[in-house]
Amino acid sequence: MRDFSYSRATSADQARQAAIQSGAMLLAGGTTLLDLAKCGVFEPEAVIDITHLPGFSDIEMDAAGARIGALAKMGEVADHPAIRANFPAVSESLLLAASAQLRNMATVGGNLLQRTRCPYFRDPATFPACNKRSPGSGCSAIGGVTRNHAVLGTSEACIASYPGDLAVALVAFDASVDLGGRTVLADEFFLTPGDRPDRDTVIEPGEMIAGIVIPASPAAKNSTYLKVRDRQSYEFAAASAAVGLELEEDGRTVRDIRVALGGVATKPWRARAVEQALVGKALDAASVEKASRLAMEGAVSHGANRYKIELAPRVVARAILQMGGLA
Amino acid sequence: MTRTVHLSLEINGKTRELDVEPRVTLLDALREHLELTGTKKGCDQGQCGACTVHVDGKRVLSCLTLAAQVEGRQIATIEGLAAENGDLHPVQAAFLEHDAFQCGYCTPGQIMSAVACIREGHAGSDEEIREYMAGNLCRCGAYNSIVAAVREAAEAA
Amino acid sequence: MTIMETRTKQGDASDGALGGRFSRLDGKLKITGGATYALEHPVEGLAYAVLVQSTIAAGRVVKVDTTKAEAAPGTLLVVTPETDLELKVASDWYGNRPDDQPYHPLPREVAFNGQAIAAVIAETLEQATEAARLVEVTYEETTAVASMDSPNAGEGKLVDQFNIAWGDAEEALAASPLRIEAEYSTPREYHVPIEPHGLTARWDGDRLTIWEPSQWTHGMARSYAELFGLPDENVRLLSPFIGGGFGSKAAVYAYGAVAAAVARRLGRPVKLAVTRPQNFTSYGGRAATRQTLELGANSDGILQAIVHRGASETSTYADFPEQTSAATPLMYAVPNFSSEHRLVPANTVMPGALRAPGKNPSAFGLECAMDELAYAAGVDPVEIRLRNYAEHDPQSGKPWSTRQMREALAAGSEAFGWAKRSFEPRSMRDGRQLIGWGVGCGTFPVLRAASEAMIRLLSDGTVEVVSGAIDMGQGTYTILAQTAAEALGVPVGQIDVRLGDSSLPGATVAGGSMLAGAITGAVHKAATAAREELIGLALNDANSPFRDTGANTLTVTDGRIAVPRGDGPSLTVAELMSATGRDLIETRRNTLPEADQGPEGHKRAWTTMTAIQGPTAGDYSMYSWCAHFVEVRVDEDFGTIRVSRIVSAFDCGRIYNPKLAESQWRGGIIMGIGQALLEEGLVDGRNGRVINNNLGDYLVATNADVPHIEVISVGIPDLNASVLGGKGVGEVGIVGVAPAIANAVFHATGKRVRDLPITLDKLI
Repeated sequence: MRDFSYSRATSADQARQAAIQSGAMLLAGGTTLLDLAKCGVFEPEAVIDITHLPGFSDIEMDAAGARIGALAKMGEVADHPAIRANFPAVSESLLLAASAQLRNMATVGGNLLQRTRCPYFRDPATFPACNKRSPGSGCSAIGGVTRNHAVLGTSEACIASYPGDLAVALVAFDASVDLGGRTVLADEFFLTPGDRPDRDTVIEPGEMIAGIVIPASPAAKNSTYLKVRDRQSYEFAAASAAVGLELEEDGRTVRDIRVALGGVATKPWRARAVEQALVGKALDAASVEKASRLAMEGAVSHGANRYKIELAPRVVARAILQMGGLA
Repeated sequence: MTRTVHLSLEINGKTRELDVEPRVTLLDALREHLELTGTKKGCDQGQCGACTVHVDGKRVLSCLTLAAQVEGRQIATIEGLAAENGDLHPVQAAFLEHDAFQCGYCTPGQIMSAVACIREGHAGSDEEIREYMAGNLCRCGAYNSIVAAVREAAEAA
Repeated sequence: MTIMETRTKQGDASDGALGGRFSRLDGKLKITGGATYALEHPVEGLAYAVLVQSTIAAGRVVKVDTTKAEAAPGTLLVVTPETDLELKVASDWYGNRPDDQPYHPLPREVAFNGQAIAAVIAETLEQATEAARLVEVTYEETTAVASMDSPNAGEGKLVDQFNIAWGDAEEALAASPLRIEAEYSTPREYHVPIEPHGLTARWDGDRLTIWEPSQWTHGMARSYAELFGLPDENVRLLSPFIGGGFGSKAAVYAYGAVAAAVARRLGRPVKLAVTRPQNFTSYGGRAATRQTLELGANSDGILQAIVHRGASETSTYADFPEQTSAATPLMYAVPNFSSEHRLVPANTVMPGALRAPGKNPSAFGLECAMDELAYAAGVDPVEIRLRNYAEHDPQSGKPWSTRQMREALAAGSEAFGWAKRSFEPRSMRDGRQLIGWGVGCGTFPVLRAASEAMIRLLSDGTVEVVSGAIDMGQGTYTILAQTAAEALGVPVGQIDVRLGDSSLPGATVAGGSMLAGAITGAVHKAATAAREELIGLALNDANSPFRDTGANTLTVTDGRIAVPRGDGPSLTVAELMSATGRDLIETRRNTLPEADQGPEGHKRAWTTMTAIQGPTAGDYSMYSWCAHFVEVRVDEDFGTIRVSRIVSAFDCGRIYNPKLAESQWRGGIIMGIGQALLEEGLVDGRNGRVINNNLGDYLVATNADVPHIEVISVGIPDLNASVLGGKGVGEVGIVGVAPAIANAVFHATGKRVRDLPITLDKLI
């Protein structure tokens, strides 16, 4: 880690001002910043600790939905009764992420800004070429070991997958990110790499995540987050799905369905084609399995990650069938 | 010269003063500056749990925490767990009885994690203990005994 | 309070101190943070060294620009291939040493990606870490062989000493009515001790002190001495606690030489901590292997022939064979046998010994193949092992010293409920979970070596056991206290054990599961001598109350000395020492034969591996054995595998402390779960980089991956194997686990996965 200065922000405005300075970075839970600083990916000159700012950790729930302060810890949000009751997928996505220790450290705001786990991104000393670190330098992952790389939303410049879980649930339930001056839908907050893989999100210099807003809905209330991986715990997803389901009074026709995928795409991936194929239809195993395959429209593999194209629809299907009481 | 900051840390109920660079992690502050080497460095990347300590009663990884960040917080390490008179904490005693370690290197992290796991109410079943202790890797493979020790200490708590 | 359901009365002598379920002697230090591991030893005036590793697989370092690193705050020294560290090549494990050959631990020639090529020493760890990042290296790259799987790797070279053959295997195979042929492979695997490697080196004049985790204090001290051309006694290596080794901490590596050399150059003690990513290439893990097995049998599944062709990856600059035929000729009776092993050089760090080297991948092949044969013959997998039971060692022809393999299969089957297994694959399920049961057997040789120990009886009745042997978690501290207690007749609680210091009496390496057998023999011998001296003192000293009892011998029980008939005086050891005015009884004994007594014999025994005797050196063939029974649950849609139940039965001879032995067995089994399902070094074919060189990407089993594991001892004391009847415990536990899991996966899914690890992508 390079030498940096440390200061504690005294107010959100002061933090935003300080963060505009070249080389400055905001420090929340530290689990991404310090990790990547040790890898040599981040080289902050000034670290501004925002964890002592009051008022950014509250979790509030009303009829319209939940508002979660950006500095609320992953563990606190996961265990919050209102979140568990109204957004099970959100709670589960958090509990299935990282470890208990990391969830006590990492904030939900920081979690949204988590960077990819692409091993080429994380090893600048060995792999100078990385368009996500330095645009135009090339992509070391293409042609390398790609088992955990994305199959959706990739470009010729970058195939790094988005590693997080929470954002997958947020995207499914139309949550938005409060950036102080503006609010952006979570789905639009994250960017696919295109020719600018260095930009993971729409956040601009001087902006800071203030909180997350999740609208209440019957589908969000009847939701789950299913995460599949080789290791039982403490591993990123091979594929995951956040699914919410609302049925008509007949108990079988789909009124509302939300599907988003993790571990397979360059950003948290809303699978609207799957949703559209099932809305208004009676839920049964065959139609769910068929519809789930639509999640992989446009998928491109780079060798060892081909299995994700087969796996992800199965994860989606299982999650939908579970919520429909059919699995 | 690199810049240093003066820190005053509350560790195991005692105030410890030190001058370190801002980039010094809590883990390195404990091990390299304060002779509190019970907290272990296994990966220095947040991937093994050996460096687990408590900050304001919550288990966290000291390798991904700046020392400067926790000024004003209450820090607890393995050295502060047993009573002043040397009586072992129930989790420590259960680890010894159940042989919940071999080489002992991940053990302080396991114990600090276990104490928090019980306090959080996440030691209700073997399955729950396994999941909530999954952030502490043990390469010697003492997991069965760790589960037994946590379960016993939780039942006694 | 014990939760183990293991039979503790089997294979031990549980009426005495030895064989008891004692908690770890060093336990309290470890649970309080009081155990000081190597890098934690406080040393005044430390400087910090950080390595710089190569980022190419093959070529030359043409330039190292140290300008920025040297200008960085706190930098004291930067060493590169340009720097002559004034070192000489030290002996290998067998004592072979080229004459006066310079050693360059930071070589100009790059043989693998991740090779140490420079180091930065600075005032603080942070400064050294950052300055190391600023070192700029220019390479001239040459074509590399990234791994043994690379197109340009070739077939490798045949290792003649591993050619094993009897009968006419090819002909018998051709004539066999049942034949199976399959290729099995295992990837690079890593030790991943949770304590990373590293050391602190301090010079006091021409004396060097090293604090470094070590499985072999004497062997490594000798290496350091030779690097610097010092007499052995000028180097002291301290290693009272080791945070896991598994075979990786028994040698001096390049980083150690660098740290000691720069400490000398700077005139300051230097601490060098190898970072976790650097650990993956600072020393070798288990080599990747592949092997083809052809089994021929009659229609009942009785083996007629085995034809085995194996290979393991090695480095381009030195060889380490991971012998795929290590278990193949031993496990089953077979009249015709042929095996060959090749070494395939690649641009990798030289592989090393990782828990049960050879035996482990070898058993993976053979035990999977036996399962395949069982299915080809329509015979239960346990039954086929019994039908092919080897009544003697098929390779050496010698009788087994002890082999409780039938008992292991029987006890394991019984406890697991194997009789209820349905033969057909895919015949057991729970919803979307396919359930499978598999069996796999394992073995590890009894290696015998000599060691030395000292017993010190102090005036307060305390007993010290002193040896340069080490405890990396296998329980040496504890079982030596038990051994001394048993031989001396004093309570275990009265005994202190000092280990892990090369200035203490010599001991063999803690590897190959041989240390316990070796060092308990030495301690037993020294303690018996101390007891005799104590009794002699009691009988003969003018001030002893026993002098006039007329007894010609005395008993020592529970720390009290008494006459055998019980009607005379009874004194504690302390009381006798006080009465006779003695403040110390000290005995030092070793288990070397008479011919090897003397400095040369001792040096050979304590600092080389040449004096180690193999399993068939005597009249018998001596091995530990085990059988693992595994249940897996496989999600049929996702291909995820969870091990839900394991029962393992072991024949490791006499067990000195069942509580600790059970921990080691479970540890081996758990490492086997990781090997079967998770662990794999991923190599980038373009530059030979191990790209998952961290614990977030190289996955080892977590607590959540491990079910309750029932372990059973079926061993009986084997006095050919060791003085006290134990065979080896530490290594055998992992052998046979991966095939048992692979066989269970087949039973669950009907799919044979023959290349480890069995990840979900291979099942969907």
